[in-house]
Amino acid sequence: MTYIGAEVIISPMGGTTAENWSAMRANRSGISLVSKAGFDNADFYLSKILSLSGGYKFEKLLLEALESVSAMIDPEILSSERTIIIVSSTKGELDEDIKDQFSHSAKALVTRFKLVNEPVIVSNACISGVLAINTAQQFIQAKIYDHAVVIGCDVISDFVVYGFQSLFAISDAPCLPFDAQRNGITMGEGCGAVVVSNAKEIFQNAPLALFPGTSANDANHISGPSRTGEGLFRSVKRTLELNKIATDEIDFISAHGTATVFNDEMESIAFDRLGLNDVPLNSLKGYFGHTLGAAGVIETAASMQMMRNSTLIKSLGYQASGTSKTLNVISENKEKKLNTILKTASGFGGGNASLIIRSL
Amino acid sequence: MDNLKEDLKTQIIEQLNLEDITPADIADDAMLFSDDGLGLDSIDALELIVLLEKYHGIQVTNPDEGKVAFKSINTMADYIHARLG
Amino acid sequence: MSLITTYCHLSADICSVNGEIVAKRNIESDESWFRQIYKEQEFAYPKFNKMDILSQAGFLASELIKRANPRIATAYGDDEIALFFANHASSADTDMRFVHSYEHNGAPSPSLFVYTLPNIVLGEIAIANKWYGENMFAVLPKFAPEFFFNYGQILLSGSSKAILCGWLEILGNAINVFLFFVENNVENGTAFNHENLLKLSSFNL
Repeated sequence: MTYIGAEVIISPMGGTTAENWSAMRANRSGISLVSKAGFDNADFYLSKILSLSGGYKFEKLLLEALESVSAMIDPEILSSERTIIIVSSTKGELDEDIKDQFSHSAKALVTRFKLVNEPVIVSNACISGVLAINTAQQFIQAKIYDHAVVIGCDVISDFVVYGFQSLFAISDAPCLPFDAQRNGITMGEGCGAVVVSNAKEIFQNAPLALFPGTSANDANHISGPSRTGEGLFRSVKRTLELNKIATDEIDFISAHGTATVFNDEMESIAFDRLGLNDVPLNSLKGYFGHTLGAAGVIETAASMQMMRNSTLIKSLGYQASGTSKTLNVISENKEKKLNTILKTASGFGGGNASLIIRSL
Repeated sequence: MDNLKEDLKTQIIEQLNLEDITPADIADDAMLFSDDGLGLDSIDALELIVLLEKYHGIQVTNPDEGKVAFKSINTMADYIHARLG
Repeated sequence: MSLITTYCHLSADICSVNGEIVAKRNIESDESWFRQIYKEQEFAYPKFNKMDILSQAGFLASELIKRANPRIATAYGDDEIALFFANHASSADTDMRFVHSYEHNGAPSPSLFVYTLPNIVLGEIAIANKWYGENMFAVLPKFAPEFFFNYGQILLSGSSKAILCGWLEILGNAINVFLFFVENNVENGTAFNHENLLKLSSFNL
């Protein structure tokens, strides 16, 4: 059995998991209008940590997240040779050193926390976070390591904002995942962390069970989602089959839900093909924005909070169905015991990934 | 008018880094986005929006407008004339 | 036992398959080095011209490996080949070009931006082959045989029956590309282990 726990979220909604959970419970978003954020000084809605200033934002967030993690597990674990740190990110510290986007931060982690093993960076666009958690699970199941800390982090930079602006992919209002009026993403920044381990006793709070996950490529387009949801369909199907879990055992889906017209439509088609239409589902992008390489970890951590608190959190920004296939998008917070949840992610490069967490 | 069309062909080749293609290879009425034409895709369409602003000072705020305007060199030239009045 | 059955190197001026040189850079030519290989080897995939340098490298090396090992095209289902690449510089080369587009060339270029992620090369290879298998792109301090071996074994013990692995380091004129194909249940090849990976990865031909 592989365990997952000690989840940490740092976002505009707060620097602790508890602050983020209370904002989510109050359906409060981290998104605000930031003036002159875009190319040609365009104003954009962003989920930006306004208190985070100066340089090395990426490194600061990683250190802060690992500091929080270390307070929630056996303190010996981080400096053990049986522990690996896996960082998921797309652009790392690009603003500090475009030619070497991860080394400075990785070294800072090694020095501060006396890590024995060099951190591994998983950089697979928007599926990085889910893929990194899956990798942690696989490393532990294969007994290569006993413990892994997965830290997902990306910060807002001119680079990514200008890029998504050039693709006309940024929403002119806070993003509206799965809604009929959706017209693009809201960029976000933040950091999430989870600990994956073969030992239940290292966690101060009881962990949950992490099942092996899978990934699949759409083999269709590098920057546009598949019209048939092929990769997402295949990844979820493989993950369910691998764990012998039936669709009716899934109590909740934490979808990717970027709020672009094509992505959310693609997800509805994939979930429809999988027979998962009736499972309560949300996208957390309305709270955190799209945090790219961090999204999978932040949203997994948030889903773990939902499981611990037996609460389905409303999919913020959703009012009326805007996909060709019907989904059970959560429109109000609801109390519900969540035994088994599915987390999915899809992204540029045609990647899709999925994982399953179960209550113990 | 014809100068504009020739200029557009050069600009498209430059902006899209089209290898092995010269202005003479692009007919005025060739479908830019069809495989029989230049075989451009949706990202190229966004690159043509950049081209319009860079070389012609025309801002396109709704990419759907581009779908109509970028059918061929002829429609692009017409669009530029209409926008510049 | 898993065997490395085919491998390909690309350096700044030499391209080789299974240790045998297949192309040498012509420094007199106006064409880019990767375009020279593309033409000489008579590949016909128009999308190649739109790819960034990382994707071009991945495309060329994977196609050359497929030519040298025809089994790849026939022996596996469409989701049985995993793609597992790594490097140190991420997509820095294209990232700098994208920054140049908005700092010095008028506006951010959408066609450059879509390549500013290291895993795009995995997508390009998946698209070219209609491969729906597992994907992983990792950024590491340097070529790490142990990481390739460990994660490669993990992939092969799951639903993947073969893996196309690669170290794909490109930054400016420095090109270090080493792609290799690992299979189970085959007779000929080099044992997939740390020592052999280190030996085969040597870029000094």
